[in-house]
Amino acid sequence: MNDVWQSDWSMMAPEWIVLAAAITLLVMDLALPSSRSRRPLAWGAAAAAALAMIATAAMIPAESASILHDTFRLDAFAKAFKLVVLAGGALALLLVAEWAPKEGSPHRGEFAYMMLFALLGAMMMASSGDLLTLFVSLELLSVSSYILAGLRKTAPASNEAALKYVINGGIATAIMLFGMSYVFGLTGTTNLGGIARRLQETNEPYMLALAFLLLLIGVSFKLATVPFHMWAPDVYEGAPVPATAFFAVVSKTAGFALLLRLLVTIFAAAPAEGRDPSSLLLSMQPIITVLAGLTMIIGSVVALRQRSLKRLLAYSGIAHAGYLLAGFAAMSWAMIDSLWMYLLVYTLMNIGAFAIIAHIVNETGSDDLDGLAGLYRHRPFLAAAFGLFLLSLAGIPGTAGFIAKLHIFIGLVVTEPGHYVLAAVMAITTVISYVYYFNLIVQLFFRPTFTAPLGRLPAGLSTAVVLCALGTLAIGWAPGLAYDMLAQFGHFGDFLP
Amino acid sequence: MMNLAWVVPLFPLGSFILLLLFGRRWKQRSAYVGIAAAFLSLLLALAVLVDRLGGSTYEANWTWMTIGGVTLTVGISATALNAWMLVVVALVSWLVHVYSQGYMAGDERFSTFYAYLGLFTFAMLGLVLSPNLLQAYIFWELVGLGSFLLIGFYFYKEEAKAAAKKAFIMTRIGDVGFFIGMMLLFWQTHSFDYDDIFRAVGDGTLSPGMTTLAVILIFIGAIGKSGQFPLHTWLPDAMEGPTPVSALIHAATMVAAGVYLVAALFPLYEASHAAMMTVATIGGVTAIFAATIGLVQTDIKRVLAYSTISQLGYMMLALGAGSYVAAIFHLTTHAFFKALLFLAAGSVIHAVRTQNIEEMGGLWRRLPWTAPLFLIGALSISGVPLFAGFFSKDEILTAAWTNGPRLLFWLAVAAALLTSFYMFRLFFLVFAGKARHHEDAHDAPASMVAPMLVLGVLSIASGYMQTPWFGSFLGEWLTDGAYRHEAAPGWIAVLATIVSFAGIFLAWLMYGAQKMPRDWLSARVPYVDELLRRHYYIDDIYRLTVVSLVSWISRLLTYVDRFLVEGLARLAAGIVGAAASAGSRGQNGQAQTYGAVTVAGLAILVVIFALTGGYWL
Repeated sequence: MNDVWQSDWSMMAPEWIVLAAAITLLVMDLALPSSRSRRPLAWGAAAAAALAMIATAAMIPAESASILHDTFRLDAFAKAFKLVVLAGGALALLLVAEWAPKEGSPHRGEFAYMMLFALLGAMMMASSGDLLTLFVSLELLSVSSYILAGLRKTAPASNEAALKYVINGGIATAIMLFGMSYVFGLTGTTNLGGIARRLQETNEPYMLALAFLLLLIGVSFKLATVPFHMWAPDVYEGAPVPATAFFAVVSKTAGFALLLRLLVTIFAAAPAEGRDPSSLLLSMQPIITVLAGLTMIIGSVVALRQRSLKRLLAYSGIAHAGYLLAGFAAMSWAMIDSLWMYLLVYTLMNIGAFAIIAHIVNETGSDDLDGLAGLYRHRPFLAAAFGLFLLSLAGIPGTAGFIAKLHIFIGLVVTEPGHYVLAAVMAITTVISYVYYFNLIVQLFFRPTFTAPLGRLPAGLSTAVVLCALGTLAIGWAPGLAYDMLAQFGHFGDFLP
Repeated sequence: MMNLAWVVPLFPLGSFILLLLFGRRWKQRSAYVGIAAAFLSLLLALAVLVDRLGGSTYEANWTWMTIGGVTLTVGISATALNAWMLVVVALVSWLVHVYSQGYMAGDERFSTFYAYLGLFTFAMLGLVLSPNLLQAYIFWELVGLGSFLLIGFYFYKEEAKAAAKKAFIMTRIGDVGFFIGMMLLFWQTHSFDYDDIFRAVGDGTLSPGMTTLAVILIFIGAIGKSGQFPLHTWLPDAMEGPTPVSALIHAATMVAAGVYLVAALFPLYEASHAAMMTVATIGGVTAIFAATIGLVQTDIKRVLAYSTISQLGYMMLALGAGSYVAAIFHLTTHAFFKALLFLAAGSVIHAVRTQNIEEMGGLWRRLPWTAPLFLIGALSISGVPLFAGFFSKDEILTAAWTNGPRLLFWLAVAAALLTSFYMFRLFFLVFAGKARHHEDAHDAPASMVAPMLVLGVLSIASGYMQTPWFGSFLGEWLTDGAYRHEAAPGWIAVLATIVSFAGIFLAWLMYGAQKMPRDWLSARVPYVDELLRRHYYIDDIYRLTVVSLVSWISRLLTYVDRFLVEGLARLAAGIVGAAASAGSRGQNGQAQTYGAVTVAGLAILVVIFALTGGYWL
């Protein structure tokens, strides 16, 4: 027990900051008279997330290390993914500060600290070195998310979203635990590194493959990829916009952190039957490839028929998860690099788009895409920013989205053997996605308005929009900024324990 | 000055940003910002050209990003081709900036128009300075974006909106080819740099098969951008944009980008006979195909649009026949005379407020400036001797005769006949004959006439850079002295002259003197007439195949996703559903289905795994 207390707790500084802020805000929310506005609490939460980000950035030069019997790892991977989830969380909290549903916002304080708890779960997930911490942090993220989805307590749509989220999340948890139980049963340990070592001595490829499939499907809930994608549009549509933004961005990033931690660490060197007996992960490549292809196709084709902006971004999010999964399926030397890059870019462009949608929903009460019509006429900068985010989502050069997609493409074609089919599917679905992104751009720039002009963007939303737009442009034109960062992470050479 | 070439595109970019920020306040004065920026670009571009005339290629690269072991660079490259294109683009862009001041006067989104023009010019100038494929691709897409915004400028017209979207998505289909071809080259050579790629072809790193595949894929991108058959249908629709835009983007510069791209990668194309044949065939077929459609159009801008497609086909034919010089020469002369024709057409539309040539007539007297200038453009494009178009077309015909298949040569000659016919059909219908109720029609203001005058001079003078008589300055310079003028059979020039006069004479018979009935063709072979009027049904074919297929798949997948899979899953969900009370079914029915789909998906994967026993492939 002694060594637990003598551990280097300062390695968890970002987590402590977020936890302390969440508890402080919880107490303040209870103590403050109900007449007081909770908006400062949300700003405080955003500041705490930003502070945690600075703390994480300050730790980048530190050697990778682990504490608490290797359950908490602080390697380059953990730092990099924590930075992305914290950036996403801080920006989503800015949206919480300006959240204004038509029935009023008595639960803003709750919104802020629950989001911080969810964020804590996402951070721990990136740092976990053990099945137990991984699972507990996943549940912390999930349970907090269910509450976030239902925070418009008097709105039936929000309640329905929360319920659907709980039910589907429960199924995902069950499947994942089932998979973990196989892994534990085969190795007798919950430590990821320990599992990987023991598996090299076992010879149970079939049992292990079953465990792999269960874990993959379980994780695909958080990623919103086929076959666990159907909840996303319903939940995104019903949940309050800041929560939707959080699910679309932070949850997805955390999901990919989970995917990499769990599947790569455990299975990369596990023995297998099939075309590559040295690595179960590589022999499962075809399945991941097929799932990635299906996800891209379903996400981008079904999005063509959506009229709700939130549903549209849900399907677009599914398509993007498909691109990310394609990057994973490539298993190139730069796989983690390219996924991190994509997730960073995805965070910026998506939160930017959601911030503007949040404004439209606040002002008009609806998220129909007609609400965008002629935005350029009375709010040219807002329309230009939205246009930028859409171009980036579509992957047009000059925006960050292009760089991220290019990186995945390069990964797909330079690995041996190249994944041409997947690259072709990605290229084709990208073209299909132009149709609906450009539909929105046509709405923004080429349509007369028939709604009342929107008011000015409140401070929180404009901060988020400006930060995201600057990031999207900066990475689009000077990607060196982000790649310098990647070089500091040493291309995740210390990922495998 | 060549080391400052990177500044050339920055002026229009600055104008774009300034007008975006302050355009609303400056209103009509925005034009001066745009014109000044374009003028500075032109001056610097000319300085770069003069520098390049006496010097050698200047290239500079900076590291852009490092992905793993691969370093990607950005830079500028002032090759002879690039320096030349820089001047052509900057010049036409500046003239269009000036012209637009009169043409767009009074439009409430005047400043937005100039802002978009700035964005487009920036992208186009950036494109022609690129030393590597990736940078070229980036600007290639940005150019498309500028075109999209400008075609859709009159957004209150449904057609304009539809045309903007169509243009963007059609060219994007080509761009997928470009992108994949580029990635193939990158995969093989680990570089996007033109020089590295050319070196790889030379030392055999790049296998002949791979070269052919990659350059044909890249050519698909050029087909899309340059409106070549079969991806040409967006270009006539793009005429919904303001006329100065049609002159700049859809006649002189952007659509020529496809030709530029093939020219920039010319050593790569030359390495593959199959690719050269593809380029020549697509070019030749497009040249005649678009010319036949041009015969029956009644919208002045659409006639010019089909003529642009046809002329771009000529340039592709020249490239495919191995004559890089002829293609760039024709690209240059075409940029001038086609821009002139569009601007003159704009002036006509400005005066009579219709685009239907059957409602025009007798405008020669009423438009004393525009009419002769239009005539110069028409004579030049028809290839009448002593005009610029004659020399460049002659160069292409010579190349086709000496290097290309005979059939393509004769197609090109036939297209030349059709060209002079439909151009003069246009001319006679608009300017000759009886004046029809356009009593108030008057010529354009000086700001519109002046750019046309400049282009009028260039439509004649630009031909003398490369003539059989005074030497081939352009060719020698573009190829660093390696150019040899082909000893062309003298009869080609004679034939071209005869053909061009024959077309004009025929048009005069039908539309000028009206000695021949206009329905001479349609009365005899009505189905041909109908075929031409419907543009060979290409649009209909696309609508019936690709568009309906995608929308059908989309609908199908929606059903599969929502109903079919759901229906299957309902079986599983039914067990839970029966247990739940009837009242709660409405609330959680769907969520259960989603879960059931997941479980079904998992089951399918496990079953596949069990059946294949781990041997996936």
